[in-house]
Amino acid sequence: MLTFTLKRLLSGVILLIAVATATFFLAHAAIPDPTLGLLGSAATPEAQAALAQKIGTDRPVIVQFGDWITQLVQGNFGDSWRNFQPVSEQIATKLPVTLSVVTVGILISAVLGGVLGVVAGLRPNTWIDRVVKAGAVVLFALPGFWVALVLVMLFAVQLKWFPAVGYTTPEQSFGGWVQSITLPAIALAVGAVVMIAEQLRNAIIQADRQDYVRTLRSRGLPQWRITVHLLRNAAPASLTVLALMFVGLLSGAIVVEQIFALPGIGALTQGSSQNGDIPMLLGITVITVVFVVIVNFLLDILLGWINPKVRVK
Amino acid sequence: MMKRTLTGIAAVMVAALALTSCSSSGSSGGDAAAPAGNVPLKIGNFLDITSWDPALADIGFDGPYLSAIYDPLVVVDGEGVPQPALATKWEVSDDFKTITMDLRDDAVFSDGEKFDAAAAVKSLDYLKAGVRSQEAYQNVDSFEAVDTDTIAIHLKKRDDTILYFMGLGRSYMMAPKAIDDGSLAKTPVGSGPYILGKDTVAGAEYHFDKVAKHWDSKDFPFDPLVISPLSDPTAMLNGMEGGQFNVIYGDQTAIDTAAANDWNVSSGLSAWVGLQFTDRTGATEMGKPLGDVKVRQALNHAFNGPEMLKAIAQNNGAATNQVFPDGTTGNLSKLNDLYKPSIETAKKMLADAGYADGFTVKMPMAPPFQPYQAAVEQVFGELGIKVTWDEYQFMDYMAKAPTYPVFVGVISMDGNAVATVERQITEPQWYNPTTSLDAFPDIKAQADKVFSADPGDAQNKEIEALNEMVTKEAWFDVWYQSNNSYVSTKEFTVTPVTGMMFPTLRHIHLEG
Repeated sequence: MLTFTLKRLLSGVILLIAVATATFFLAHAAIPDPTLGLLGSAATPEAQAALAQKIGTDRPVIVQFGDWITQLVQGNFGDSWRNFQPVSEQIATKLPVTLSVVTVGILISAVLGGVLGVVAGLRPNTWIDRVVKAGAVVLFALPGFWVALVLVMLFAVQLKWFPAVGYTTPEQSFGGWVQSITLPAIALAVGAVVMIAEQLRNAIIQADRQDYVRTLRSRGLPQWRITVHLLRNAAPASLTVLALMFVGLLSGAIVVEQIFALPGIGALTQGSSQNGDIPMLLGITVITVVFVVIVNFLLDILLGWINPKVRVK
Repeated sequence: MMKRTLTGIAAVMVAALALTSCSSSGSSGGDAAAPAGNVPLKIGNFLDITSWDPALADIGFDGPYLSAIYDPLVVVDGEGVPQPALATKWEVSDDFKTITMDLRDDAVFSDGEKFDAAAAVKSLDYLKAGVRSQEAYQNVDSFEAVDTDTIAIHLKKRDDTILYFMGLGRSYMMAPKAIDDGSLAKTPVGSGPYILGKDTVAGAEYHFDKVAKHWDSKDFPFDPLVISPLSDPTAMLNGMEGGQFNVIYGDQTAIDTAAANDWNVSSGLSAWVGLQFTDRTGATEMGKPLGDVKVRQALNHAFNGPEMLKAIAQNNGAATNQVFPDGTTGNLSKLNDLYKPSIETAKKMLADAGYADGFTVKMPMAPPFQPYQAAVEQVFGELGIKVTWDEYQFMDYMAKAPTYPVFVGVISMDGNAVATVERQITEPQWYNPTTSLDAFPDIKAQADKVFSADPGDAQNKEIEALNEMVTKEAWFDVWYQSNNSYVSTKEFTVTPVTGMMFPTLRHIHLEG
């Protein structure tokens, strides 16, 4: 298990270095002169020159890369070119917002998708299964932004149960926090619920056809114990989907954060991209890759714990 | 197990609903009861604050944030005219090279330091060195504290726009200790009517606590004051309809929704829309046709600006063919008929110029300008001008567009006529890197007259003459001028300021 863990960690570090390097040069190639975007309409030649000197873009790109990578290995993401505040501090204030929404969205997806998947999988081709399948097709076809807008119009603008926009921290008000992330999390979860339900349903049906299940049934085991066995075999595929969903929802959060005006990583990415704030974009990329590596690492550990056969493989 | 899970879900849902019904978080409550004598103001701004340090801030959308914390020396009114704030009055010397300002003596910074001439000079020196704020102080030689409540601004050369730029948001005064600490970006310390509240969630909701004894408290009856950045117009309108805001930056949908909700709409001109010529001398191979005034004039005739204003901007702007804001000094209504829309006239003028079969041109394109792409293709097609588009992201557009001889521009305007002369005609800008002045000696001479004329009527006359020259020379192809709009609940009105994307708190007023 130790070798397995070390290998995983090493591949994660290699992935991180490769993505960070590629992103650095791609960003600098795509934004050859960031001073224009950073200064906007006040971009006079004098102001551009002063800003270029301040942020160091008057130096060769390779020198800038050397500085950036040296800072990065020391855990320093540098300063934003937009407001000259440390990138890490700004990401630290935005990350909890995105993680709140994505984590709650994943929890909703896991619980609802799990329940629906199990119910449908245990009763294939019954009316419940058909309802779940039909519902899955309909919900999966709905664009996420449309679902978000409908939720806002109904529950925020009309009923006023939830705020239409904005974010409240748990420290300010736990109730306010729940209110501010409920609709965004549901909007994010809708697509994920049906994917997980569908995945789990199919996996349970497949596992239910295995010889060992027939044997268990012939021994007169109660259904709930058979279900536990089924879940152990069906769970890996669903957990993999769930992990992929988590990564996918991190990027999907951009749209939801925009619709609900949440100050998360999505909004930060969009703003930084428009302004040409390369250090911020690089910081966000590195953090995202770290999360992807961590989630995949945890998934491997979890799968190994649920199903020892995975470890052997 | 399933039963336990379902019970758990039910418990979470009940808890969420209970919290929903009883909580009064910072996010909600646009209709919350106001403390006596004060009115809640919750603003939906289009962008987050760039920086709490005025030297690093943009003036575009930073106005409401910064004006809560900081007092300016000078503020501009809705006509772009500088008005007193911390500077109670000022005098410009006869040689136009010294501005002497009297300062208030009753303003105090929120850290307890007193505002005086020394503090003002320290702030101005800091602003002059600032990456973004330096734009206002290019011609300043030095700032001097004459006595405790008087300063002098010594200029290297005459500058008729410095007070205007200071009033746009470049003269916010900062506490001297905070400048020395270098802590303003994190902890703003000004003498303004509010201080940053502890309930602030950066990027989401900025809460401001009212200063008890501010020298101008009657102009700031807003309490609580909350400003939220929302870059999505739909989100902003949803927030307004949901009761979370009472002043927002409004798009056309918000304007259309306003009447049904009994909201106020305030609009002010902000930008001109049209073709920006960057090669007026035909110096480049592709731009050669544009070096002929008849070709530029033909393009002015070819586009039907008033129709484009109706169709593309839903009439939210002004039909004029000039770069000076409609209805302000410099803009001449008589010139609006100079290029009557006529594709036939345009074809004839192109033929006279030797381009009866049109010519070939490449132009840049980016998503925000796509509404105009079809119109350009159609008009150019009728004239035989073959256009091919190079696609860019918006940010790259600013860098790439000026490298083409002509591009579709939405160019910000100023509320000050001399500033318009500088930014649109005489000084290099990102959208106009080569001013072409040397190739147009008459225009250059007229611009010199503007800068040497006595301020007031004499200077305005020269500005009008200059505008007439550049319009007749078709230096631009202005289709129309577009508005910025602000939607407010009926208790508030907003005074738009050309040159500011979002006005300051001083431009938001209680009705009645």
